[in-house]
Amino acid sequence: MKKTPFVLSILLVFSLVLAACSAAATPAATAIPTQPAAATTVVANDAATSAPATTSSSKLVFVMVTDQNGLGDQGFNDLSWSGMQKAGKDLNADTKIVESSEEAQYVPNLTTAANDKASLVVGVGSLLTDALEQVAKANPNTNFALIDSSVDATNVRSVVFRQQEGSFLGGVIAGLTTKTNKVGAVGGMEIPVVVSWISGFEAGVKAVNPKATVMVTYAGSFGDPAKGKEIATTEYDQGADVIFEVAGGTGVGAWQAASEHGKGVYIFGSDTCKYSLAPDNALPDVVKNVDTAIYDTAKDVANGSFAGGQQSLGLKENGVGLCDKTYQALPDSVKTIVEKAKQLIIDGTLVPPTTKDELDKFTSPDLSK
Amino acid sequence: MNILSVFNIGLLAATLRGATPLIFAAIGVTYAERSGVTNIGVEGIMLFGAFSAVLVTYYTKNPWIGVLAAVIVGGLLGLVHAWTSITLKANQIVTGAAVNLLAVGIPNYLLIAIWNQPGASPMVANIKPLHIAFLANLPIIGPLFNSQNLLAYLAIFAAIVGQIILFHTPLGLHIRAVGEDPRAADTVGIDVYKLRYLCVIFSGMMAGLGGAYLSVAQLSMFTKQMTQGRGFIAMGAMIFGKWTPIGSLGACLLFGFADALQLALQTIGVSIPSDLLMTFPYVLTLIALAGFVGRSAAPAAVGKPYDKG
Repeated sequence: MKKTPFVLSILLVFSLVLAACSAAATPAATAIPTQPAAATTVVANDAATSAPATTSSSKLVFVMVTDQNGLGDQGFNDLSWSGMQKAGKDLNADTKIVESSEEAQYVPNLTTAANDKASLVVGVGSLLTDALEQVAKANPNTNFALIDSSVDATNVRSVVFRQQEGSFLGGVIAGLTTKTNKVGAVGGMEIPVVVSWISGFEAGVKAVNPKATVMVTYAGSFGDPAKGKEIATTEYDQGADVIFEVAGGTGVGAWQAASEHGKGVYIFGSDTCKYSLAPDNALPDVVKNVDTAIYDTAKDVANGSFAGGQQSLGLKENGVGLCDKTYQALPDSVKTIVEKAKQLIIDGTLVPPTTKDELDKFTSPDLSK
Repeated sequence: MNILSVFNIGLLAATLRGATPLIFAAIGVTYAERSGVTNIGVEGIMLFGAFSAVLVTYYTKNPWIGVLAAVIVGGLLGLVHAWTSITLKANQIVTGAAVNLLAVGIPNYLLIAIWNQPGASPMVANIKPLHIAFLANLPIIGPLFNSQNLLAYLAIFAAIVGQIILFHTPLGLHIRAVGEDPRAADTVGIDVYKLRYLCVIFSGMMAGLGGAYLSVAQLSMFTKQMTQGRGFIAMGAMIFGKWTPIGSLGACLLFGFADALQLALQTIGVSIPSDLLMTFPYVLTLIALAGFVGRSAAPAAVGKPYDKG
């Protein structure tokens, strides 16, 4: 009798550890596989559910690997995955997603994806840069794409966005909208991509409203909505009446702060249209068409025209822009100035800053004329 | 830029909002450890609590029922931890870690299974801030009370009551006896297992409550990993607070204050890199631990399974 608890405890601990390991250490549990059994309960994937797993070897397989931020950010990652799914559907390919839960998983997850006979492995997010470079060099016959950063390898297509061009327009709108002459920015982590978003924004604000001050606060995480809400509340308390969030899942909390604050304060975000999070407070979000970029890359793979190299997408290429629905609701006086700025950026006469140093040196042409 | 402008009443309100989930979890683990069982699973239990609160609120439209559900789910997870670590005498760190790892996977899976929404739940109703007229109308400190909900007051109340029970009642004496020397306690007729079970289940309930505060009071949704290490910070606060509820309360408030302060300093644009400012709460904790709190010793029997023989 005395041995029973002991044996039980060994079994239980073992099973707990096993369950735990499979959730954290291998991609299997965090990935959303395309096997029919799982796909019915997991993310809908039409192309995959109709095809038995055994025939998938002849089909194209697109795999998306995220950093630890992953799906559910109502932005960058969700949008990337929707582009991938659309490609899977239109091109009759299998699509898979592997969400990394920590940095140490980047290389194993990318390697698993490459070994999985993937036709294309897409690394979404600049945090994956080093890992993707390493894995791409070890798998020279696999096609890779990297979003938001660049790697120098012939089998990697690096897609970077000139998000500062879009956020400059967002800054123009914010600068013309604020009544307190104070605007805020909520950043996820202070990494180059986010800094370029916010630098472009600050430049846009100053271009139309030199008196305005811009408060910038970083949360240190893309996955902490409670902190995002706290930051937005602090900025509103300090007198800001327009907030721009570049914070993924953290930013969702900022939207909630705006919505609870009620009318009179504004918010807009990065990557995708988010007005449904606070319809009364929404200004046009600065959209970044990662979905189109991934879709086009997948299409190139399907057509056999995939090539590595650098791709830079801005306003001119329609890689970034403003959320159309909320943009149309703006007063004409604002839209006129935004259109003017947009034209100058496309012409190349106005180059929005991407870093704090560039921001300090930046002088804007007069947009009011 | 005026640095002093950050020291306003909004900063104190933010302090309390940030500290509330930590206070619940810290009081819970204080009881568990005082009874001799460590529970590093609080981080995961908070996450489960946050998720359960949103799930139940989604279907009942009442966030208070959601809070109740979080407390029950937290208590059940506490029961599992109690069973493995007290009855089965498993390694407490391992089972606690297992709970934390399960919390990484299970809520994410359920988000997809229930709402087909990876990573985040839909918006649900939440607990609104409480407007207590006589508090809100107080001069100067009135605004402090405007943005707090009932749970924030409950957290402070729980710390006071928790302190009284642990140090001024026979029950508290028994709990501490069981955590210091279970053999001696057993000899004088105290039911070691029963008390340990109670305390560990209580720690789960409190962690669930802390998680519910995050998801249905501070916010109105669940997002994956939304606790972001707050359970571990609560354990730090317990140690910092020398394994007492009031000490934990103070530590949580200090931590909440430091975090609110660094955010406010970033906001007004002090020229310190944000990454450095973000370490402020941790640096402050280190300094306070090293310089002011002095030696804090764990209950003697913590982490050791007790065999009645």
